[in-house]
Amino acid sequence: MAMTSKTGVAGAQFGRLLQNPSSGALALVAVLAVAMSMAFPAFPTGTNAGNIANQMVFVVLLALGMTVVLITGGIDLSVGSVMGLSAGIGAYTITTGVPLFLGLLAAVAAGGFLGFINGLLITRLGLPDFIATLAMLGVARGVLFLWTNGVPLTGYMLPEYYIISGLEQPFGFLTVPMLLAIAAVLAVGLLLKATGFGRHAYGIGSNPQAALLSGVPVNRIKVTAYVISGLTAGVAGMLMAGRTMTVAPTMGIGFELSAIAAAVIGGAALTGGRGTAFGALTGALVLSITANAINISGVSSAWQQVVIGAVLLLAVVFDRVSSLLRERSARLRIKPVHV
Amino acid sequence: MSAANSPTQAGYSRRSMLTHMGIGAGLLAGSGLLSACSTVSTAGNAKAAAGGTGGIASAGGAAYDAEIKKLVNGRTLQVGWTPPILSEMFDQMEKAAFGRMAELEEAYGIQWKWERSAPTGNFDAVEQQVSTVRGWTSRGFDAVLVCTGANFATMQNVYQQAFDGGTQVFQFNQPVEVYDEEDILAVSNIGYDNRWQSGYVAGSFIAETLKGKGKIIQIMGPSGSDWSKARQIGFDLALKENPGLEVVGTADGGYLRDKGLNAAQDLLTRFRDIDAIYGENEDMALGASQAVDAAGLKQWDGSEGVVVVGADGLISGMEAIKAGKLTASVDVGSVDQGRAFIDAVFRRVVLGEHVAKIIEVPTRVVTKDNVDAAKAYIEGNMNPAKTY
Repeated sequence: MAMTSKTGVAGAQFGRLLQNPSSGALALVAVLAVAMSMAFPAFPTGTNAGNIANQMVFVVLLALGMTVVLITGGIDLSVGSVMGLSAGIGAYTITTGVPLFLGLLAAVAAGGFLGFINGLLITRLGLPDFIATLAMLGVARGVLFLWTNGVPLTGYMLPEYYIISGLEQPFGFLTVPMLLAIAAVLAVGLLLKATGFGRHAYGIGSNPQAALLSGVPVNRIKVTAYVISGLTAGVAGMLMAGRTMTVAPTMGIGFELSAIAAAVIGGAALTGGRGTAFGALTGALVLSITANAINISGVSSAWQQVVIGAVLLLAVVFDRVSSLLRERSARLRIKPVHV
Repeated sequence: MSAANSPTQAGYSRRSMLTHMGIGAGLLAGSGLLSACSTVSTAGNAKAAAGGTGGIASAGGAAYDAEIKKLVNGRTLQVGWTPPILSEMFDQMEKAAFGRMAELEEAYGIQWKWERSAPTGNFDAVEQQVSTVRGWTSRGFDAVLVCTGANFATMQNVYQQAFDGGTQVFQFNQPVEVYDEEDILAVSNIGYDNRWQSGYVAGSFIAETLKGKGKIIQIMGPSGSDWSKARQIGFDLALKENPGLEVVGTADGGYLRDKGLNAAQDLLTRFRDIDAIYGENEDMALGASQAVDAAGLKQWDGSEGVVVVGADGLISGMEAIKAGKLTASVDVGSVDQGRAFIDAVFRRVVLGEHVAKIIEVPTRVVTKDNVDAAKAYIEGNMNPAKTY
């Protein structure tokens, strides 16, 4: 990029900026947004901003949970299936005639419970994270298909659900899903930065052995991480059930990959120990703006795969470069001690 | 309309010929060219049969029925059925198939062993279907029925192995029109022509409704899918015949409701002044319909608003049509397909007859005007006398 040619005083600041894992993603968003705004007057409008914000809620939520799991050094492949099954359970619960909030609670609780099972499989049985959650991906999706026989669930759209899922906007631009997503970003951010859980999670991800030896309750932290991921998937499912007014058994298929992509674009490392709530938000923003730009520009949808793949690659390369820079500056700081 | 008529004429007669051929083939499957086994050819009769009056008169009469019963001799037919995914569409189709199986069982004493295997839509779907068909072949199934998104050449290899192992392969709902007929190994392909019986029909309906002039947004299936390709050919022909129609924007909705909703929402931001949305399947069309509401636009009310057209013929879609949330949908004959493929299997495998390689069932445009009949036809088949 043109900015890299700048040196001198700005260089130091820029170096720091480079070390922030999310800044690459943010730069990409900015470039894309400027280009799109110049080419399509419909892009930089309030309506379109609302579209993007409403569409990105699901990936934001899933990416938040995914980031927490990635920080502990795990991975959760089941979030798309958990989202679908939770939505199904919530929708079904509402159709039995209980109050709406109980149905919504059932969806979120189902997500949390499935996450808890993931956590137990990984910590108690010692299954690799990848395998345990891959199994959950299959089981949760299979259960949803067997249960519904492929037929979408409907008939649960109570009047308040339209507001909760953002189909009606009594507060103007802001919708309930947007507010929930913002609240989730703040909550996960606080959890990671200001609590013992957060410190332990980063510790486990960076060096599991050291964490264990220094008395960190590794298993409890890991289980909690998967429960958080399940809960965010449950909330996403609950909101998606409202947004589409029907729970197709295909709901959420492929969302695990979007969640991982968003988390990684936002600076989470698959090797553990790194990632932020704000990063998850920026990662989701990159994916959503890309999808929106492709829809609006009318570019062949095959490009969506190419662009998202390229963005992911760029983000990882950027991350690699910035961590090399970090290492180098760390070495530079250490040097004087030896001399 | 009358202005658009003359260029339409030539194309339409060709089309209507094909459509009639389709109907003919459907009837052939249903009631039998050789006035053979078909005891019942429509769902209405099926209801009467299920009512259990005892004597079912087939086109061949009582003596013929008795002969066929002797021929069947209580035989058990083991059949595997693998749709590309479990969905409302395939649920409707399977129930209709059950109804037809129960009728044949009652009339001729044939026993059915039915196995269903459907991928759950995760990434290994295609491989799962290939290994399913291989498994059924090695277990010596009499017939397998396949609808798949798998690569054409791969499946022909799998089918060849099945034939070598003595298992007859049939395809249903497969867009076989995009392949060379000689290359298709399946005994028979029961479905409809996605070009002329779906894409073209949807495009023509939009043209007719908008009197040949208007701006269209198109929400497509996943790029590269054979269904999508075939429907596009038909839709493009309808556009060519109606130069006043213009597709201003297209986007991929992946055959899913939420992606269809997102795509329509994004496109409506750029093109607010549109007259119609064509969703290549019903789920995407329903998502688009939500986007129309969300954008504060008016749904088509018979004289103005946005025309939203889908394709599938699901009960849920028909409810949306009744509720004014979907202008029209192309019903691709889930019930007829289900009944027809059971007939094809019975007549080929049990009676040893030669069934047509391509059997097309009729399709129809369902609107508010005829939705009750279309819905009743499907619902009449949703409680088969027996499930397998």
